[in-house]
Amino acid sequence: MTGGDTTPVSEDRPVFAGESGVPVADVLEAVRRAVADLLTVSARPPDSLRVRVGDIAVEIEWPATTTATATSTATATVPAPTPGGDIEAGDDGRSYLCAPGVGVFYRASEPGAAAFVAEGDVVVPGQQVAILEVMKLMVPIEADQHGRITEVLRENGTAVEYGERLFALAPA
Amino acid sequence: MSGSSRSRRPDRRPREAPLFGGVLIANRGEIALRVARTCRELGLRVIAVHSTEDRHSAVARYADEAVQVGPAPARRSYLNIPALIEAASRTGAEAIHPGYGFLSEDPDFAEICEASGLTFIGPPAAVTRLLGDKIAARAVLADEGMPVLPGSREPVPAEEAARIAGTIGYPVIVKAAAGGGGRGMHVAADPAGFADAYRKAQAAALTLFGDGRVYVERYLESPRHVEVQVLADAHGNVVSLGERDCTVQRRHQKLVEETPVPALPPELTRRIAEAAVLGARSVGYVGAGTFEFLVDTDRSFYFLEVNCRVQVEHPVTEMVTGIDIVREQLHIAAGRRLSMRQSDVMPRGVAIECRINAEDPERGFAPTPGPLTGFAAPGGPFVRVDTHCFPGYRIPAAYDSLLAKLVVWAPDRPQALARMRRALAEFRVEGPGVRTTLPFLEEVLDHPLFLSAEHGTGLVGDMLSSGP
Repeated sequence: MTGGDTTPVSEDRPVFAGESGVPVADVLEAVRRAVADLLTVSARPPDSLRVRVGDIAVEIEWPATTTATATSTATATVPAPTPGGDIEAGDDGRSYLCAPGVGVFYRASEPGAAAFVAEGDVVVPGQQVAILEVMKLMVPIEADQHGRITEVLRENGTAVEYGERLFALAPA
Repeated sequence: MSGSSRSRRPDRRPREAPLFGGVLIANRGEIALRVARTCRELGLRVIAVHSTEDRHSAVARYADEAVQVGPAPARRSYLNIPALIEAASRTGAEAIHPGYGFLSEDPDFAEICEASGLTFIGPPAAVTRLLGDKIAARAVLADEGMPVLPGSREPVPAEEAARIAGTIGYPVIVKAAAGGGGRGMHVAADPAGFADAYRKAQAAALTLFGDGRVYVERYLESPRHVEVQVLADAHGNVVSLGERDCTVQRRHQKLVEETPVPALPPELTRRIAEAAVLGARSVGYVGAGTFEFLVDTDRSFYFLEVNCRVQVEHPVTEMVTGIDIVREQLHIAAGRRLSMRQSDVMPRGVAIECRINAEDPERGFAPTPGPLTGFAAPGGPFVRVDTHCFPGYRIPAAYDSLLAKLVVWAPDRPQALARMRRALAEFRVEGPGVRTTLPFLEEVLDHPLFLSAEHGTGLVGDMLSSGP
């Protein structure tokens, strides 16, 4: 994720095949809408936007993030579904693992079980650190950055909203 | 609430129990604030939801409680059903008002709300599901005697479509069965052009919606767009709150709405309203809804579709009837009876609404997001402004461009137009890069065809193509 990320348009929207017989105006309308949709879901203004019309492709390039952390809460790519906590750089030099949705925050797999992680633990990307209960579903929260947990910011069993800071991290 | 010695003053009437313990508003912008205001008037606890982008929004500050449900993209926040249900449960909300757009006409959302023990403020899911299928809705209502545009009642292959086109008369329009929003439709002016229009519409349907089925219908060149506001309670009472004229549109986006419908015989608009009430009864409609019609130049009218929600332009109806449509929605959802009978609905005067959008009319109405350094809405007699904007507000790029709805009332249309011109001239919206539809609206209001109410839905297109 150093040179800016490129998002293909085909992810979860209709593929606009360059069929013969499709009126150009409709194809362009479809492309225009796809571009508008993409711009709508992107949190930052893109660097460049490339539209190709034979075998239609739309490519949008965003500038590389300049902050020290890999991603910010304002997600740059078309967002990955939960699980996956969002990392946020704090003003205080620490970074934070934030709630990926609205729900109830649990630190352990069941009552009485040991917490997934505790202060001082080093976590690696993909490691489960907590659970978010959303509509009775238990969604794992995973670290998406390497680091050492310096503080657990929310009590077990607390209702949290999107983007609420859950763990403070320092470089490991 | 002091326990033992409650004073019993004879002049104090017993308080009615609140309709709901709290109402979560699953929307943003002006409509969220508008709904919140009626909730406040009814003594209901207001719970707002917002994306990270909207965390400093007017409704988030206005509400008793606000929950951040996701990041800027709507599909992760305002369309994020699990987050909204969780937000309702953690705040103790008992009902969800969906506003317009977003999840307002999603029957699955309505069902999930009910399954989660929340009252969805809108029609029953089954009704929204039926009316959301445009072909099915047309067929069901036509069976009840609703006038519909002549055409095929289901998707048809090319040869049969050509035969039907011949019997209903040209021009005809070929539309995608799975379509909507005016996309992928093709007009055939005469039989010679039919095969081409059919092929193009079919290809477009496949490309845009992944479903190549199309149907054919008579095409009206520049009709009037007339709609009827209905209210229906769960006890079988249905009333019409009158008609609105929404003919001034740009690519199916309404710009100016007014009531009553100008320059059409009252006898005609009365028949349209009766058709809407009959339609609402026949599908078991409950809640506030709008039946949309097209009126041809020969004054025949045809049912178009039903909007199963409160509409952007509902304030014009409120201004002439004195009825708060959101209040009625809340009462209906709580199982109460309508607070009026048809004979109590007595529209008075003329109301006009202009939509002030952050769009640049000189650049094809491209949205112009950005910070508002100055924002001053007009005031004075009989002027209503529904807006979520304030100086310092930043117009986000992620959502629609509606900044404000400017609504005026006057005893007659000439006075209402004069008042609207005055109010438009007072409106101040400033910010680097921000443009609005204000100057274009002033042009519409001075257009001879609009002044004489002889305009059709083609007005704005004609104004733009014959521009200066």
